[in-house]
Amino acid sequence: MTTPNKTPPGADPKQLERTGTVREIGSQAVWSLSSCKPGFGVDQLRDDNLETYWQSDGSQPHLVNIQFRRKTTVKTLCIYADYKSDESYTPSKISVRVGNNFHNLQEIRQLELVEPSGWIHVPLTDTHKKPIRTFMIQIAVLANHQNGRDTHMRQIKVYTPVEESSIGKFPRCTTVDFMMYRSIR
Amino acid sequence: MTVLQEPVQAAIWQALNHYAYRDAVFLAERLYAEVHSEEALFLLATCYYRSGKAYKAYRLLKGHSCTTPQCKYLLAKCCVDLSKLAEGEQILSGGVLNKQKSHDDIVMEFGDSACFTLSLLGHVYCKTDRLAKGSECYQKSLSLNPFLWSPFESLCEIGEKPDPDQTFKLTSLQNFSSCLPNTCTTVVSNHNISHRQPESVLMETPQDTIELNRINLESSNSKYSSLNSDSSMSYIDSAVISSDSVPLGSGTAILSKQAQNKPKTGRSLLGGPAALSPLTPSFGILPLETPSPGDGSYLQNYTNSSSVIDVPSTGAPSKKTVSRISQAGTKSVFSQSGNSREVTPVLVAQTQSSGPQTSTTPQVLSPTIAAPPNALPRRSSRLFTSDSSTTKENSKKLKMKFPPKIPNRKTKSKTNKGGITQPNLNDSLEITKLDSSIISEGKISTVAPQIQAFTLQKAAAEGLMSLLRDMGKGYLALCSYNCKEAINILSHLPSHHYNTGWVLCQIGRAYFELAEYMQAERIFSEVRRIENYRVEGMEIYSTTLWHLQKDVALSVLSKDLTDMDKNSPEAWCAAGNCFSLQREHDIAIKFFQRAIQVDPNYAYAYTLLGHEFVLTEELDKALACFRNAIRVNPRHYNAWYGLGMIYYKQEKFSLAEMHFQKALDINPQSSVLLCHIGVVQHALKKSEKALDTLNKAINIDPKNPLCKFHRASVLFANEKYKVSLGARGSLEIPVAGNGVPWELNVHRSPWGAPGLAGRAWDMGSICFGKCLPHQGGIKCFDWNKIWGRQVLLFKLLF
Repeated sequence: MTTPNKTPPGADPKQLERTGTVREIGSQAVWSLSSCKPGFGVDQLRDDNLETYWQSDGSQPHLVNIQFRRKTTVKTLCIYADYKSDESYTPSKISVRVGNNFHNLQEIRQLELVEPSGWIHVPLTDTHKKPIRTFMIQIAVLANHQNGRDTHMRQIKVYTPVEESSIGKFPRCTTVDFMMYRSIR
Repeated sequence: MTVLQEPVQAAIWQALNHYAYRDAVFLAERLYAEVHSEEALFLLATCYYRSGKAYKAYRLLKGHSCTTPQCKYLLAKCCVDLSKLAEGEQILSGGVLNKQKSHDDIVMEFGDSACFTLSLLGHVYCKTDRLAKGSECYQKSLSLNPFLWSPFESLCEIGEKPDPDQTFKLTSLQNFSSCLPNTCTTVVSNHNISHRQPESVLMETPQDTIELNRINLESSNSKYSSLNSDSSMSYIDSAVISSDSVPLGSGTAILSKQAQNKPKTGRSLLGGPAALSPLTPSFGILPLETPSPGDGSYLQNYTNSSSVIDVPSTGAPSKKTVSRISQAGTKSVFSQSGNSREVTPVLVAQTQSSGPQTSTTPQVLSPTIAAPPNALPRRSSRLFTSDSSTTKENSKKLKMKFPPKIPNRKTKSKTNKGGITQPNLNDSLEITKLDSSIISEGKISTVAPQIQAFTLQKAAAEGLMSLLRDMGKGYLALCSYNCKEAINILSHLPSHHYNTGWVLCQIGRAYFELAEYMQAERIFSEVRRIENYRVEGMEIYSTTLWHLQKDVALSVLSKDLTDMDKNSPEAWCAAGNCFSLQREHDIAIKFFQRAIQVDPNYAYAYTLLGHEFVLTEELDKALACFRNAIRVNPRHYNAWYGLGMIYYKQEKFSLAEMHFQKALDINPQSSVLLCHIGVVQHALKKSEKALDTLNKAINIDPKNPLCKFHRASVLFANEKYKVSLGARGSLEIPVAGNGVPWELNVHRSPWGAPGLAGRAWDMGSICFGKCLPHQGGIKCFDWNKIWGRQVLLFKLLF
């Protein structure tokens, strides 16, 4: 791998939301960071604004912890990283760990980023190719571009698949003609 | 002291009639400071209320004793507006704890405004969960005054089934004439205040009005001599008074000029053509030779609800001009008859003059004309009648005193008129006398024109009643969710009424309840075209667009509505629906909460909010929202459905079934509901019942594909299939509607068996095949391997 290909940017997660197949559930979780510079913390990470970012302020690995109140199905993680604006602050190696609590985490994904320039979709599946069900997700930044110490992360979104009613008796319809009759509003 | 009030009161009324609330409030405050009478208090409170400050009126009236019915009514109205229902009830009927007055007591006490009082009381009862009492009040209110629509509407909404034929009819002349003045006086105020209020205004003047009417009557006669003398007499009055009140006198002079100038133009507009046109409205204007609005004689005649009966006087314009010119005094007389103007515009409005433009001008004219000169006649009457003019006097009592007080001359003419009108009107009502005198005026004193006039008037009211009957039937059908019948009835209304916002919105809603969203959308877009200021009913339109997933139209609608009226819950519901369609549930939630803030008594906002919470999986909040919706409106079947859905999601199937059943009790025609019930019953293992329910659903609405799908899945789950058709398993089935290919996707097969797949082509043939389990989608599709099972399965489907 002489010249690693740059990580291509993924689609805007908003498009994903509009399909109705997934739902953003970051608001149902408690977010915490291993360290941050004042004014560049969780709020900036979750404010839907790509201009603001989280800047870590400690030693590696830098951690983002997402803890849910109950065991939640998570389908995809979306991280926005931009090499052009963050350069040495851009993460290059990210590890995703899941578990029940801090002592119980297990890595399920590790990804390498090469000069990313947009959204990165991280599908989280278990061994059976189904979305994982977990209490906690930890995103660890193990390394940055150009060996930078601290990292910038601009936005993170967590998606859960939209479940049909439990038994699946009301199928997912795709055409309007069917969907009209699905429910009373 | 009472003499001092007249010009001030007149000025205040003039300001109110011109919506100049700052002026009115200021003057009323001065008046009240000067004279702490209950009438002045009432006037001030009215000014506050009309200027939109119900809280001011409330505090003012609370702080002082209110004994007159009009004050009590206004105070109760303020209480209800400020959501102080217990207090309102107490004022109107003695409260929950004290001994309550019966309806008859209320009728006695409030007299002519009893219908409005009872309607308000009914509203209070319904809001406090006493539906039986509420409906009683509404019924009584309607029996007193069949011109009221809102008690009828409220009765339909709480689930009662009032009979439109019984409700909207003119039972007796007495009722007819009693409603009219009452309603008309209240319509003047636009706030349904007791008619006593204008009566109090008129109080000093009814004698004058009669006098004036008599004078007017005579003036339109060819008996100009009497006219002269009368007018001269009234002229003397004005002369006497005018010395003290120069501006008012000049007002009348100006008036006379106005009256002089107007007639010609008005006449041509309201004249023959109206009578001859085949499209003459069934009420609103009476198709006779109506004198022009500005015409003095017309004005007099006009006092009777646009019954332009003025046959004799309109005989020859020349005659009119003669009468006009003959004395300036007549003008002042006419202007004095402005007292009755208070009555006139209302009467016209009451009978819903949808007539030509000019019919409204007299209304506008008359208040202007009325206000300044009011002072004159009042004073003149006072000069004659010393003890009849206390401000708070019961109008009836006053009228009783009427005949004796009027000087002989007037009495004579009055009884004369009375004699004429006896055969026509019930004379137990003084106002009727007033009307009759008004009716009879402008006539050569023969009986025939009066009767003719009266029958015309009655015909106009009948026209309205028959319209209300039809609309009532339609609305009742809609509220009982007999949507097809409602559409039928409402479609048969005359086209000029059909093409109005209210009717079309009801029809649109009927289609919506039938789940025929395309039709509903068509109708609602028509409403938007003809009445783009209408917000009531637009929430249903927004939900229709949500179902049809027309995001552009929905966002245009919501933008327009929110720009137009930020204080209407419908606008925010539309905005919320728009964002919900875009899957931005948090923003949608925000907008629905805003709708609730704007109007906490709007059930649909709670329901929509509940649906959003369900979509964001916050089921507890959703439960709370649906329950709130039911609290506000127990007949809101959407909220019952929402609760059922939540319990279904939580797999509490029996609870789900119970709630769906409640929703079904309210709306038995909904195939979607039946479909859901069928599914739940199947989940409860009551498959036979499930199949019955689903069959019923399919019968009601064959276009609903999901019912068939669920029926098929129930049958499949019960493995009720037998070997059937031949190898070719395709059935030609017309696809309901568009012929657009649709896909039926069942890739998860909960029964562990291979799922179904189907694909329709444009001509509508549907082929089913066995779906290989792994692929989990519609793609795989092995036509050659049609198995008996599957064939039968889709045979069952259709």
